Amino acid sequence: MATADPRTSKASEPFDIVATYNDLLRSDPDLTMPIAAIEALVLLLTHSPSSTISETLDLLEKSTAHLKKSIPNPIGLSAGTDLFQRYLITTLQRPGQLGPAGDFNAIRAHLLSNSRLFIRRAKESRDKIAAFGRGFVRDGSTVLTNGGSRVVASLLQQAADEKGGPSAVRFNVIYVLSSPKGDIESPTAEPEGMETVRALRAKGVPVATIPESAVAYSLGKADVVIVGAEGVVENGGIVSRMGTYQIGLLAKAMGKPFYVVAESHKFVRVYPLGQYDLPIEQHVIDFKTQEEVDTAKQQQSNSANSPGTTQGLNSEFHPDAVDFTPPHLISALITDSGVLTPSAVSEELIKIWF
Amino acid sequence: MPPPSAPLTPGLASFLKSLKINPIDTSIDNLISLLKRRQIRHSRSCATATAYLLRSVISACRTSDASKLIERVQSVGRRLIAAQPREMVVGNIVRRVLGLIRDEAEDDRDGDFSLSEAGSESLPQTPRAGDDLSESLYGRHDGSASKPLSSLAAHPISMFSLLSQPESENSLPGSPASASPSGRLPAHPQNKDIRAEVLDGINEIIDELGQVDDQIAAYALDHIHSNEIILTHTSSTTVQKFLLKAAAKRKFTVIHAESYPNNHEATHATVSGTAPNDDELLSTESFQKPLIAHGITVILIPDSAVFALMSRVNKVILGTHSVLANGGLVASAGTRVIARAAKVHQTPVVVVSGVYKLSPVYPFDFDSLIEYGDSSKVIGYEDGDLVEQIDVQNPLYDYVPAELVDLYITNLGGHAPSYLYRIVSDHYRKEDINF
Repeated sequence: MATADPRTSKASEPFDIVATYNDLLRSDPDLTMPIAAIEALVLLLTHSPSSTISETLDLLEKSTAHLKKSIPNPIGLSAGTDLFQRYLITTLQRPGQLGPAGDFNAIRAHLLSNSRLFIRRAKESRDKIAAFGRGFVRDGSTVLTNGGSRVVASLLQQAADEKGGPSAVRFNVIYVLSSPKGDIESPTAEPEGMETVRALRAKGVPVATIPESAVAYSLGKADVVIVGAEGVVENGGIVSRMGTYQIGLLAKAMGKPFYVVAESHKFVRVYPLGQYDLPIEQHVIDFKTQEEVDTAKQQQSNSANSPGTTQGLNSEFHPDAVDFTPPHLISALITDSGVLTPSAVSEELIKIWF
Repeated sequence: MPPPSAPLTPGLASFLKSLKINPIDTSIDNLISLLKRRQIRHSRSCATATAYLLRSVISACRTSDASKLIERVQSVGRRLIAAQPREMVVGNIVRRVLGLIRDEAEDDRDGDFSLSEAGSESLPQTPRAGDDLSESLYGRHDGSASKPLSSLAAHPISMFSLLSQPESENSLPGSPASASPSGRLPAHPQNKDIRAEVLDGINEIIDELGQVDDQIAAYALDHIHSNEIILTHTSSTTVQKFLLKAAAKRKFTVIHAESYPNNHEATHATVSGTAPNDDELLSTESFQKPLIAHGITVILIPDSAVFALMSRVNKVILGTHSVLANGGLVASAGTRVIARAAKVHQTPVVVVSGVYKLSPVYPFDFDSLIEYGDSSKVIGYEDGDLVEQIDVQNPLYDYVPAELVDLYITNLGGHAPSYLYRIVSDHYRKEDINF
C-alpha cells in the first residue's frame, strides 16, 4: 500500500528501520502496514542489545519517529508502532515492581521469538473478520466495493466459497476501480483490485468493474457497500483510499448501508476534524497557472535523469492519496473483535492508552 | 394481541403454574408449544417465562460442573429460540443466564487459581518455547499479584490480542469449551456449588423483569415537562407507566395513535381506562388509573393523522418489541411512520425499553425480523369477494433504523443509540452471542 520509497541513504544507525519496513512490505504482499511496522520494531530489538526498559523505550521512540518521518503516509504505520509501544509499556507495568529486569528479558524473549506468530495472527484475524462479516453478504445481494483491501477480498472470497457452511452465498459484486493513469511511473499497470476481481470471477461470482465516476450511477443497483481501511481513527471514521469518502457520502444519500472491514490493529490514535486535518502531506489540490506548469515542465526536462525530483511531479495523481470518511457515514465496522459501531472505536483505543 | 382470556386459556399464568408440578422436560415442551402457537406474546411475558423455565432447568440439573450447566442451558435455549426466532427476548434471557454461569465459574476459578497455579501453567497448549515462557510468567503474577491485576489478565484487552498470548486461537466465539477468556475453565474442578449462585442470579433477573417498568418510569420527570404535547402509539405498559409517573406531578397533553388493526382495541381500553382484562400481565397495572383520571388530556387519533399533527408535538415516546445491537429497534407496525414523521419535523423521538429487550443480534436482514399477523384483521373473511381477489398483508412489526431515534431510556438511564453497543457488551458475553 505504501510506496516503496527506500531512503537508505538517510540511515542514521547501523540498523535501518525504514529499509527494513519497506523490505517487509515488499516481500509479503499480504502484510499490512501496522504489522510491517511491528515486525520492523521487533527486528530492531533483535539488533540492539538494550537491556533496560528505558533504554528500549527510548530506542523505540526514536526509531518510530524516524520511521514516521521517512514514510509519506504514516497513519497506518503509526497504528502498529503505537500498539507495539503500548503493549510493551502495559506488559512492563503489569507485574508491578517485581524484579523488572528479569521480567523484561522474558518479555523481550517472547517478542523476539514470536514475530512470525504476530504475522500469522494478523492474517488469521482476516479469517475471523470474514466469519463475522459473512452475514453482511446475503444471498441475491449486490456488494459495491473499492480499492485493494485484502480484508475485503478475503471476506468476499470466503462468502463465495463457503464449502463447509450451509451453502455458498450467491451474490454480485460491483468493483470500483481507480483509473490506472494516475501511476505515471508504470502506465501499463493495472488498477488496484484487479487481482481480487479475477479471484472472485474464478470462484463464479459475477463481478462488474466500474470507474469511480460511475459510483453514483451504479449505487442504485447495490444493496450494500463494503470497503476496507488503512486506519480507523479515534472518532470511528476511517482513513482510506482516495475515493472512499465520496462513496460513503453517496451511500448515505441513497440510504445504503456502508460497512468498513478492518482489523483492530489498524485502530490509530488520530482525531482528524476533516479532510485537510490528516497528519500527512498530500498535494491533491494543486493550483497552478500556465506559467507554473511551464516552469515545472522545464525543470523536469532539466533533471530527467535525477530521480530525486519525481516525487513533486507525481503529486498531481498521487496513487497513494487517502481521504477521511467521517463516522456518521459508517453503518458499522466489522473487526476481529466483533461488529462495532463507530463510537465503539474510541473505547477500544482508550482501553490501551489509559 | 393477547389471546382472549378465559381462565383455561394457556398462557403465561397457566405455564408458571404448571412449571411447579410438571417434570422439567414437559415444561420445556410446553413453553415451546406456547411460543410456537403465540399463546405467550408480549416481550415481557416471554422473558418471564424463559427466566422461570431456566431456573427450573438449572435447579433440576444435578451437577455443579459449569460446562455441563452451560451445555444444558444452551441446548434448551436453542430449542426455545428455534420455536420463535423473532421473539428475541427469549434469546436475551438465555444469554444472560449463560453469562451468569460463566461469571460464577470464573469467580470460582479466580478463587482457586492461586492454589492450583502450578498445575495451570502447563495447561495452555502452546508448543512454542517463547509462549510457554511468558505464559508461565503471567500465570505466576496472576496468582501472586493483587486482585485487580489478575482481573486485568483474565480479560485481555482486545487490541492487544495480536501481540499477547495465543489464547484467542482456541476460544472461537460460541464454542462451549471457551468458557473463560483464557480458556482454562473446563480443566478446573469446581469446589463450590455454583448452581445456588446462578439460581440467585436468575431470581435477580426475574425481579428485574418485574420492576423494569417502574425503574424506567422513574426517569419520566426528567423528560416530560409541563404543557408539553406527547405523541405515543400502542398500548405499551412501559409507556403508560412512564406517562402516569409524570402525570402525578405535571400537566401535559397526550396524543395517542390507535395502531389499527393489531392493537387498537387495547389502545382504546388503555385510553379510556376500561380494564384491559389482560391476565398475561401479571402485575397490578390493570388496576391503575388511566391518564385521564389524572387530569391529562388524551387525544385518540387514527394512525393516518400522525403526520398532520406532528408539527404540534413536542416529543414522541415509543414502546418497542426489541432493540438491536446497532441501535435500531423492532416495534409494532406504524412505529417507523411515526419516527420518520418526527424526523421530518425535528421532533425528538424517545424509546422506552427495558434492558432485557436489548438484543446483541446484529440485524443483517431486516425483513426476516418482521412478523406477519392475521390478515383477517384488515379485511374480514366475510368480505368474500374482496378476499378472493386481493392479497392482504398484516405486518405486526416495523424495523426502525437507529438514526430515527434520539434517545433510549432503559432501566439504567438514558442512552444515545450509538451507545447501546456498550450496554450490550456489559450484559452479554461475547462467546454467547451466537450460541
